[in-house]
Amino acid sequence: MTAANELNAAAAIARLGSGDLTAEVLTRACLDRAEERKAVKAWVWLDPEQALAQARAADTRTRAGRPGLLAGLPIGVKDIIDTLDMPTEHGSPIYRGNRPFADAACVALLRMAGGTVMGKTVTTEFANRFPGATVNPHNPAHTPGGSSSGSAAAVADFQVPAALGTQTGGSVIRPSAFCGVVGYKPSFGEFSRSGIKLQCHNLDTLGIICRRVEDLPPVRGALLAALPHRIDRDAAAPRIGICRTPAWDGAEPAMQDLIERTADRLAKAGAKITEMSFAPEFTNILEHHRRIFDYEAARNYAYEYERHHEQVSQVLRDTVLTPGRELPLAAYIDAMETAEAFRRHIDEIFGEVDALLTPSAAGEAPEGLGSTGDPRFNSIWTLAWTPCVTLPAGTGPKGLPLGVQLVGPRFRDEALFDIAAWTEPRLV
Amino acid sequence: MPNVEPHRLPATTLVRLIEAGELTAEWVVRSCLDRIAEREPVLRAWAHLDREAVLAEARASDESGQSGILKGVPFAVKDIFDSADMPTGYGSPIYTGCRPSFEASAVSLPRAAGAILMGKTVTTEFANRHPGPTSHPKNPFHTPGGSSSGSAAAVADFMVPLGIGTQTGGSVIRPAAYCGVVGFKPSFGLFPPAGMHVNTESLDTVGTMARSVADTALFAAALMAIPYEPPAMPERPPRFALCRTPHWHEATDEAKAALEQAASRLAAAGARIVDSELPPECADISEIQATHSAYEAPRVHAPELHRHAALLSQDLLDDGKIATGRKLGLDDFREAWRRAERARAAAREWAGGFDAILTVPAPGAAPRGLDSTGSAIFNGLWTALYMPCLTLPAEETAEGLPLGIQLVGARHGDTRLLDIGLWVERQLGAAQ
Repeated sequence: MTAANELNAAAAIARLGSGDLTAEVLTRACLDRAEERKAVKAWVWLDPEQALAQARAADTRTRAGRPGLLAGLPIGVKDIIDTLDMPTEHGSPIYRGNRPFADAACVALLRMAGGTVMGKTVTTEFANRFPGATVNPHNPAHTPGGSSSGSAAAVADFQVPAALGTQTGGSVIRPSAFCGVVGYKPSFGEFSRSGIKLQCHNLDTLGIICRRVEDLPPVRGALLAALPHRIDRDAAAPRIGICRTPAWDGAEPAMQDLIERTADRLAKAGAKITEMSFAPEFTNILEHHRRIFDYEAARNYAYEYERHHEQVSQVLRDTVLTPGRELPLAAYIDAMETAEAFRRHIDEIFGEVDALLTPSAAGEAPEGLGSTGDPRFNSIWTLAWTPCVTLPAGTGPKGLPLGVQLVGPRFRDEALFDIAAWTEPRLV
Repeated sequence: MPNVEPHRLPATTLVRLIEAGELTAEWVVRSCLDRIAEREPVLRAWAHLDREAVLAEARASDESGQSGILKGVPFAVKDIFDSADMPTGYGSPIYTGCRPSFEASAVSLPRAAGAILMGKTVTTEFANRHPGPTSHPKNPFHTPGGSSSGSAAAVADFMVPLGIGTQTGGSVIRPAAYCGVVGFKPSFGLFPPAGMHVNTESLDTVGTMARSVADTALFAAALMAIPYEPPAMPERPPRFALCRTPHWHEATDEAKAALEQAASRLAAAGARIVDSELPPECADISEIQATHSAYEAPRVHAPELHRHAALLSQDLLDDGKIATGRKLGLDDFREAWRRAERARAAAREWAGGFDAILTVPAPGAAPRGLDSTGSAIFNGLWTALYMPCLTLPAEETAEGLPLGIQLVGARHGDTRLLDIGLWVERQLGAAQ
């Protein structure tokens, strides 16, 4: 029998709801695993008693016939998301011991759906590039990716079945791919960001990290205060466009090969595969993402930059905040207008295909903990505001996970789940 | 040395005098504090004001010797923004005692430019409808408008030269027009939103209150952290679209007359004015704004609903957006978002044909009574269209309440709109 902490979220919810499993037992199994695997350093705050108390309260509700959508499911929360009962430190010494006055909207929505906030997971400094302590659970000499480092590592390492992350560049999809789990970034605007440390108002997107596609609907339902989508298992084989993107040359051979092989496999399974590429005017779309990123982060982090300058990492100051301050308003406006044109272009592309197949990252998780890797295969889609799902798809030459990314049209997240569920068993 | 009390001076003048050593920040702050002490018992514009702390900040500014484009200028911030050294209540009893460990960019950036944070001004509950205690500076039996009630009233009443508000529907332009000050809501997203308590993420817009267009431009540069360039008079008289909007029937005769009168003055000064209405794609933009905002309400207020539902007002809960939002689903939200995008694209093309749109900022003057902050019907559409809006005082009612006009620019044409605003301000002022 599968150990409780190894159950994927949907399976766990089913057993919690039927009374086969209590949230307390599940949470304890997760806590035990986290304790045993402390070396992964996924958590910045984990108080067993606090998690267990929530789990027991969930069990009481379940026994009273009110399990909610999540029935006590333990969930990890990235530490740039406010929690009333746990510190929220944003990966920065400026916020050491910071205790928010209220939960973020997403945390309250999870709790209202019966979720257990297990603890806070490691983030890079302000969800940017200066890394936290987390290591890749598959090889501690490699980065887990970031900025949602702890969330991806904890889910991959069976320390928690699901976790929240955020993506401004590639911070949900990339660490999920590096750790070999499922990551989901929704259509921009759908999940409330209230109470999440704001980096870039035109880019920041809350996402979900879990181990199976079927885990996404209940957590997404909770975050939307809506009924969960029922995955359509009888859906016809989708039309999929291979999208190499202007970043393709930056992909490692193993990743390039994986995309080609995946396309072949899906074609054999009945998918209609075509090639899709961006119109030439969007070849430098990553430059526009970078401008919006730098310009907005430099202003949304004004307090830290102005008042706690020395406690902001030098890499964040020198590579993002200072250049962002110097970027002219006209360049920012031009980037926003190009981004809008790009979104319209992507909307048009989806007239011909149901989803795009594209790398989740350049390759395997790079060696070393000094960098969390290259987000270029993600930033494009963060800017496009499209829903994205990364699925684990075997390993690369170093034996570390590789992911493939499916991208759907904006506001068609449910259809993307169906396609991802169709694709999932047909991968390596 | 000025022969006017410093609290009456514009920010641009204050900076010049302070930088020249003719005035100190402490002197300015004392003058503002005196004005507040005299008027606050009736006006009730402030949610938090610590006299000693702000004097200490002013003295530190004087002693620092650092310059800045807002050197020594006091400013007020709506209590919907987080402040690290002052309580932050969001207009709700739920947040009594809340002391954020973070400071909103709308606080940090003016401070970094040398401005002195005077205090926090009254907001309606979570920048929604349920009013705070603030009264109108010209007549305490009238509302100052909302939700940025305290900032508008405090600037109008010479308590402080600059104030910050937010607009999700009509919460900057309407109170500014009611109180007779210059209100500016920039294109969506141009003023950084970090630290503003969320009302509706894709609509919430940080805006300013000031007593002149020049002060508005100065404050805007600080809030965008960009180099300051004073607004420039247009080389030739502008071309305006006189837009009555689909809601014209909701405007009072006084408001209509004030707009027509302003239009004839501008025409007399050489402006070309043509009647033009929003394109058909924008026909239901006000409903889209309302749907979008209502959909988000029960989600964004989940933390309060989860733990403190009894402390939410009925104006927000059962009689307001939360009840409405609970009846809306994701499809309604997506449809609203899509239609808003189409409307924005069409509005952009339309507005590009003019130097600015001329319209009313509110249905009329500030209504009597403090139970309602008035109607946002002439604002929600422009907020949802992401277009920059500027209200300028134009006329007064027979009872002495201000009536404004509203100038709207093409999205991202903010700098141009302030230039046009300077021209309009001069013509209206000259005529008066």
